[in-house]
Amino acid sequence: MFESALTVMIFLPIVAGALILLCPAKGAARIIGFFVSLIVLMIGVQLFIDFDGQAGMQFVYSTPWISSLGISFGLGVDGISLLVLLTSAVLFPLVFCVLKEQSRNFYANLLLCQGAMIGAICATDLVVFYIFWELMLVPIFFTIGLYGGPGRLPATLKITIYTIAGSLLMLVGIIYVASCYHQQFGVWTFNMARLSALSLSGGFAGWAFLMFMIAFAIKIPIFPFHTWLPDAYTEAPPATSFVLSAIMAKIGVYGMIRFVLPFFAPEFISWATFFLFLGIIGMIYCGIAAIGQKDIKRMLAFSSASHMGVIAIGVCAMNVQSLTGSLFQIAAHATSTGVLFLFVGLMEERLKTRNIDALGGLAYRAPIFATFFAVAMLASVGLPGTSGFIGEFLIILGTVKYSMFLGLLTGFTLIVGVCYMLWMFQRVFYEKESETTTRFTDLTAGEAFSFLPVMILIFVMGIFPQLFISKIEPAVQQQIAQLYAPAQQQVVTNEISVTDK
Amino acid sequence: MEHTVNYLVCIPLLPLAGAFVLGMMHMFTCKNPLPEKLYSFLAMLGPLGSLIFTLIVFATLREMPAESRYLTQDLFTWFSVGDLHVDMGFFADPLSTLFLLFVTFIGSLIHIYSIGYMAGEENFGKYFAYFNLFLGSMLILVLGNGPVVMFIGWEAVGLCSYLLISFYTKERDNVLAGNKAFIVNRVGDLGFVLGVAVLFWGLHSALGGAGFDYLNIKASASSLTGGAGLAVCLLLFLGATGKSAQIPLYVWLPDAMAGPTPVSALIHAATMVTAGVYMVARFSFLYASFPLAGDVVAWVGILTALLAAIIGCFQRDIKKILAYSTVSQLGYMFAGVGVAAYSAGIFHVFTHSFFKALLFLGAGSVIYGLHHEQDIWKMGGLKKKMPLTWIVMVIGALALAGFPPFAGFFSKDEILFMALAKGHWMIWLIGVGVAGLTAFYSFRLIFLVFHGEPRDQKSYEKAHEPPPVMTIPLIILAVGATFAGFFNLPSFFAGDSMVSTWLAPSLLEHHSEASRVTEGVAMVLSIAVVLLGIFYAWKTFAFKPQDKPLTGFAKWAEDKFYVDEFYNAFIVQPWIAFGRTISNFIEPNIVDFPIKGTAWLYGVLGMLFKVFQAGYVRVYAIYMVIGLSLMSIFLSQSL
Repeated sequence: MFESALTVMIFLPIVAGALILLCPAKGAARIIGFFVSLIVLMIGVQLFIDFDGQAGMQFVYSTPWISSLGISFGLGVDGISLLVLLTSAVLFPLVFCVLKEQSRNFYANLLLCQGAMIGAICATDLVVFYIFWELMLVPIFFTIGLYGGPGRLPATLKITIYTIAGSLLMLVGIIYVASCYHQQFGVWTFNMARLSALSLSGGFAGWAFLMFMIAFAIKIPIFPFHTWLPDAYTEAPPATSFVLSAIMAKIGVYGMIRFVLPFFAPEFISWATFFLFLGIIGMIYCGIAAIGQKDIKRMLAFSSASHMGVIAIGVCAMNVQSLTGSLFQIAAHATSTGVLFLFVGLMEERLKTRNIDALGGLAYRAPIFATFFAVAMLASVGLPGTSGFIGEFLIILGTVKYSMFLGLLTGFTLIVGVCYMLWMFQRVFYEKESETTTRFTDLTAGEAFSFLPVMILIFVMGIFPQLFISKIEPAVQQQIAQLYAPAQQQVVTNEISVTDK
Repeated sequence: MEHTVNYLVCIPLLPLAGAFVLGMMHMFTCKNPLPEKLYSFLAMLGPLGSLIFTLIVFATLREMPAESRYLTQDLFTWFSVGDLHVDMGFFADPLSTLFLLFVTFIGSLIHIYSIGYMAGEENFGKYFAYFNLFLGSMLILVLGNGPVVMFIGWEAVGLCSYLLISFYTKERDNVLAGNKAFIVNRVGDLGFVLGVAVLFWGLHSALGGAGFDYLNIKASASSLTGGAGLAVCLLLFLGATGKSAQIPLYVWLPDAMAGPTPVSALIHAATMVTAGVYMVARFSFLYASFPLAGDVVAWVGILTALLAAIIGCFQRDIKKILAYSTVSQLGYMFAGVGVAAYSAGIFHVFTHSFFKALLFLGAGSVIYGLHHEQDIWKMGGLKKKMPLTWIVMVIGALALAGFPPFAGFFSKDEILFMALAKGHWMIWLIGVGVAGLTAFYSFRLIFLVFHGEPRDQKSYEKAHEPPPVMTIPLIILAVGATFAGFFNLPSFFAGDSMVSTWLAPSLLEHHSEASRVTEGVAMVLSIAVVLLGIFYAWKTFAFKPQDKPLTGFAKWAEDKFYVDEFYNAFIVQPWIAFGRTISNFIEPNIVDFPIKGTAWLYGVLGMLFKVFQAGYVRVYAIYMVIGLSLMSIFLSQSL
């Protein structure tokens, strides 16, 4: 089983997480966690380098599991999942580096979370996907519930019940899709590639489509399913906020592209404008809501939701540029907003407050911190030359093709972001130094070196995005071509490939 | 002819490298700063290096035949998605080279001036890091090989503008001014990005996956349909109104004067704000084919020129006067490129960069000499204390007013004459009127600052001429402001229109011919109006000027016609209020209502069922009896 890189990436963190619980020394948990995540990082980077953009599904691993239902433990990576996988592999060590939480349990949960997320991203079988999808929620439940802020319990309940409600809908959808395949071809399978032959629409398929969409819309979240987000992100410990915003939200987008687009192509095309509108409303609504926040973390939570709206828009505009933009933005957003959550976590550790009004003049006391924060902030508002620009530009460009008017509305993301970000930056980093900020100390050398790779990544992704785009673009081309191809043709080609096997 | 070279990248890269090094040095040593001499030396390397490479580019282009004068350098594929293929690369043709020349030249001068002006400031290193960063970004903007690469520079200069406007970050108002500049510019950038997107989709079949750069765009521009073309032109122009401070987005520029004065001279007068004019000229092949877009540009330009000139006549702050004057002169430039007189508009950019930089730096000397006094009503009689500054400021004012033979005369008159020759006589008429206003407010400034009696004895006593590191750049700029006009001497004065000829290969321009007599009469008329303006300023302000509170129209103009207040009341405040409403009311009570409702429903159901789960054995016993009896009835029925 461990001859495959993907299984190692999934099970190493999970097993290590379980072992950490038994580990006697408290401090060791963090170090073990760090090294495990470092190993995962190295495998992830190697995998990215070996990945061939033209070759479709790669690093495939499959072993039969429940043969009677055609369920197999199948894993693989293609252009659609590559960047999401890379994000969850590469950014994780940071969490172990910079925050001072000491509990074993906490680190065990983080590792479990990483394993589950990588599992969900790599799964090529719907059942496997569903299991990991649900498993992701467990560590979130524990970390927010045990280590969160004062309002953690309601926040935990809300995120857990909300997401589980969505997942159950999806479970119904999964069973429906598989049974449709069984009806049409006479065999049971949960293999995604084979199920993609289906192009369901009409009747119950419409409901199944909505079930999938709602599950993913809650996870992303798309307006108006976002109300769990501000509470959860704010109350969660910084590491969890980071994981939620940088990676887990993206798995929702990934799921939408991976499952909804191929399974329900006609339905998706007819609903796309509606969901695109929801994306726009969410982007503007959350962007405006961010202005009114007094708590930096809550502001970032709304900011994150606003950006996720833009990513969803890119998927709904359904062309090569916008979809590539969304996939790129998935990684870019993790390097900007995700990292901002960690910065705020550091700030809170040092100052015991997140209240914008109590801060001021941080830049004079902590120039390195201020510079790093500014870089991440500028990436988040999409300044060209940083990671944030490419994705946003491609999404706007693609949406203009879909509809000039919707493109115009999408463009408002350029304005919405700077309004709250600059105003926050002014009140936290500039102006007169407040009494609270005098306690602040700049990043230590260790912290600075932990963040440095991400800072470099922000610029590398902005200046050399082609490194990443060349690996994902062919898969996107194929996905879009498949989306618009007449359903009948797909079925025929698929039948041929099935009989070949 | 070989068009590919490998040194274009050095032009923006040198200042950017300088910015990086300076920034790092400052960041790690800001507690105990390094000597200013070290920073000054390092800061000068980038601009001077760029200037040298620019001269090489200029010399190389001159060797080439006029119709194929361009150099390119492709570095790597920036991104390539579907049909969209964007190369990171640079492109130097006569138009961009002209910009390179004056940006690097004036940029270097203002760097030198800043060494004196900023001496002893707390964040000396940071200032020069930002300044280098700005210069590098501006050079990317000018040199970019296509609209997307240009946009890197376009946004980066906006960032530097933000950083430098809010340079004295401890004052809340400065940072607010910086935010305002960034956000208003972003509104323009929205137009730019959409314009680029529409342009791409209009051309993508004609481009066929080829690089999205100026050469290919120009080659396939004819395939653009009417509606799309017009939309592209107007959207791009929206971008220009943001960056170049035109109606309706001009409001940020006067506030931008919160930054140090050399910043105002370089960024908010000579270089960055002319980026919009550059962009329109760059896309002259589009604007020339959509005359309606050109008309919009010209009218927005000339009305901005008028509005800003009127406001400028009533300001008290020396920098605000110059700021409105910049807005007004930018309006002229847009009027020029709008009536398809591209070379005239660009030539005005060129001359304006000299005399406006000169005026700002001169104003900087005054402010420096008076220890940060900016109200012209508190000055007066400074001629005796600062004779050199007085001379250069008079030269600057004459050039700004457009008095022959100073630089502004030739460029401004060229624009006005071209407007007339192309049949836009209304624009010409307003333009002549604005020339009179310009003469009036520039000499109002001169007379109030340098002539008459000192009105604030205390600051007058302390006034002094600045050190040579500041005066030498002033003298060089004054020479430029005097003679720059002769670079494009029109045939009327037996000149050979050197700049226009140089620019011709880059611009799609049709020269309109009008009779010599018309040209002569128009010229005499505009000189007369200028003299009238100067005379009126002299009469009102040279002797015993009265600083009485303004009333009526003048009061309105002094308060900038309340445009800022209008934007604040109808856009900013509702926006903020809406933000508060969302988080206080809409989010918890409306959007979250179904969720809260569900939770409530569960609560109610729970209460309901709780009644049955009372926990008393006797109650359960009753349930059991009821259950058993129902079961036995059911069983007996079915048997």
